[in-house]
Amino acid sequence: MSKLRNVAIVGFAQAPIVDADPHHTAPEMLYPVVKQALASCGIERKDIDYQCAGSSDYIDGRAFSFSQVLEVMGAWPPVQDSHVEMDAVWAAYLVWVKMQAEECDTAIVAGFGKCSEGSPTHVLNLQLDPFYHASLGLDHISTAALQASAYMAKSGVDDAGLAEVVARNRAAGAANPDTQLRKAASAKDLQGTPFVTKPLREGYLPPIGETATVMVLAVEGKAEKMCDKPVWIQGVDHRIELQTIGSRDLTQSASTRLAARNALEMASVTSAREAQVVELGSATPAEELILRDALGLPSGLGGNGASADGPVVNPSGSPLCGNPLMNTGLLRLAEGFRQLSGRAGERAVAGAKRALVHASAGHCLQQNIVWVLGTERRWT
Amino acid sequence: MNEPPKDRIKYVQTDLHLPYHYYAGDYKALYLNALKDKKILGSKCSKTGKVFVPPVMSSPDAHAPCTEIVELPDKGIVTTFCVVNVPVFGRDLELPYVVASVALDGADISIYGLVQECKAPEVEMGMRVQAVWKPDGERLGEHTDIKYFKPTGETKAPLESFIHRL
Amino acid sequence: MKAPTSVEPMSQRMTVTFPYKHSTGEVTGRFLAGLKEQKKIWGRRIAGQGVVVPPNAYSEIDAKTGGEWVEVADQGTVTAVGVVAQPVKDLHPSTEPFAYVLVKLDGADTALAHLVLDRIDDIRVGSRVKAVWAPDEERKGTIRDIACFQLVG
Repeated sequence: MSKLRNVAIVGFAQAPIVDADPHHTAPEMLYPVVKQALASCGIERKDIDYQCAGSSDYIDGRAFSFSQVLEVMGAWPPVQDSHVEMDAVWAAYLVWVKMQAEECDTAIVAGFGKCSEGSPTHVLNLQLDPFYHASLGLDHISTAALQASAYMAKSGVDDAGLAEVVARNRAAGAANPDTQLRKAASAKDLQGTPFVTKPLREGYLPPIGETATVMVLAVEGKAEKMCDKPVWIQGVDHRIELQTIGSRDLTQSASTRLAARNALEMASVTSAREAQVVELGSATPAEELILRDALGLPSGLGGNGASADGPVVNPSGSPLCGNPLMNTGLLRLAEGFRQLSGRAGERAVAGAKRALVHASAGHCLQQNIVWVLGTERRWT
Repeated sequence: MNEPPKDRIKYVQTDLHLPYHYYAGDYKALYLNALKDKKILGSKCSKTGKVFVPPVMSSPDAHAPCTEIVELPDKGIVTTFCVVNVPVFGRDLELPYVVASVALDGADISIYGLVQECKAPEVEMGMRVQAVWKPDGERLGEHTDIKYFKPTGETKAPLESFIHRL
Repeated sequence: MKAPTSVEPMSQRMTVTFPYKHSTGEVTGRFLAGLKEQKKIWGRRIAGQGVVVPPNAYSEIDAKTGGEWVEVADQGTVTAVGVVAQPVKDLHPSTEPFAYVLVKLDGADTALAHLVLDRIDDIRVGSRVKAVWAPDEERKGTIRDIACFQLVG
């Protein structure tokens, strides 16, 4: 493994995750968050070399939607900027790559998307091909349900198992002031909610809220001046699978397994179990179980694998406690930052020195990115 | 037959209907509502004092909050303009017509408006203009509550006074 | 005047409409013609995947073109099922509860996504289903030339 630049996450700020904010446009939600993130690093906009945002024109109902936030991220003096039509966690990945290419040393990454203004259900249908899948009207919950049913048939996990996964995430979310659903729910109550697309019940599916997020990244040499406890990126990898859902084995996440293997290898870490914190970008309980399998983590069902020396999984409550599209993935990376830099408040995992963070995009976990974060620099 | 027909189906028709519900946000809502009362509002940058119309939360160049709302007169200068000679979808205006960038007195950027009650060749950069509003009762809180701008007949403004306010 | 702390929200509804005519290309176009003209379901043999149904022009494994056409049966085994209890307006193909399924047709190595409209509570992973074809005059060269699948037995 050749030596790469040490890049750290040095700051993160977010707006509250709400069902809808009818008083602020996307740039107006983002502006105070940009100011807060810069202030938390003790820097001004002029100290930033590069900026990248993650958002979706279809979610926003605007063409070239990203251009509306350029001036709140800071348009003067001009810096190089970029955009990904994806969750902002991929904007962070783009920034990491730019830093490896030595094109910038400091950067801000922003996520935004006022999901309340459109219909994510109609929009996400369009991620599928128009000939064989979108034309059937397949929505993201139905494709997730197809994956869940295949997984349950193979693994023997039942409805009660799904409810248990959601209940423990809801318990974590209750201790997280930064997520959307902050009230615990019992597995029994969740099992009592009606099906949306069986086997997925209403109680198993998170609200799709909205927020604005900003993360600040910097290379070694600058990061130390911007944060008391920079969180170093020790490894990262991103893998994509086939679009055609019937051509994949939906019962496992091959791309997560591969991305994790590569990210862990880059970090010189043997397995996910060496992390004290794991954050998964699973938006349904079946996704969480499939991802745990891919990462070599126990399911945690019925107390299985709940051991003192395994990582704490989803201390944030995961996307099951709030899925603000375009921000969900970056919020997982932010949780890794918060946990490792002493900014996780009541939900802090004591002694956490390494975190494995996962995020996903596309139907049925089509694309997956895995990060390994640590309190120590990877390359010396 | 050991293959599907050679004559293929050429297209699959997909008609997208995506519903949206856009919110103006408080700054734009304030501005749009004020138009009903024939008032034009802007916001002032806390760092540079520049005035932006319609009002914005943050200044595009100074990146500072623009927390003070100010009222502007409904007259100003044509900074730049274009003469439209072709019909535009959704617009039912007699050709040719003039669309201008109008810097209202006191504003540091311009708003868009039609220039009418004069012939197209008479419009010049620096021409002083006055808003013509829809009558009372017809203003709905939309940008078109200003029907157009008309020349006041005053001497045109010198270039230096508007070149940075296009 | 101070910046607004709270103003009565103003909003506007708008439905963005885009008509698209998606070019099918050689492979998809012929597959759809096979549904319409022949009431047959065709797959393509692709290295690394086996018989791919529905077929794509390029291998999703190595992007190569080509591959022999292989007819598959119009019945097969359900590999995944999602029963839609709350159909979404202007999106779902039915206003009544229905099921989405993935079906591995006999002879295929990949599963086709489709619908089941009857006996939806009886479908399981492993159920056998058979295609119900749309009548001749209703088949237009779309995936809905197969109207739906129904449980066998």
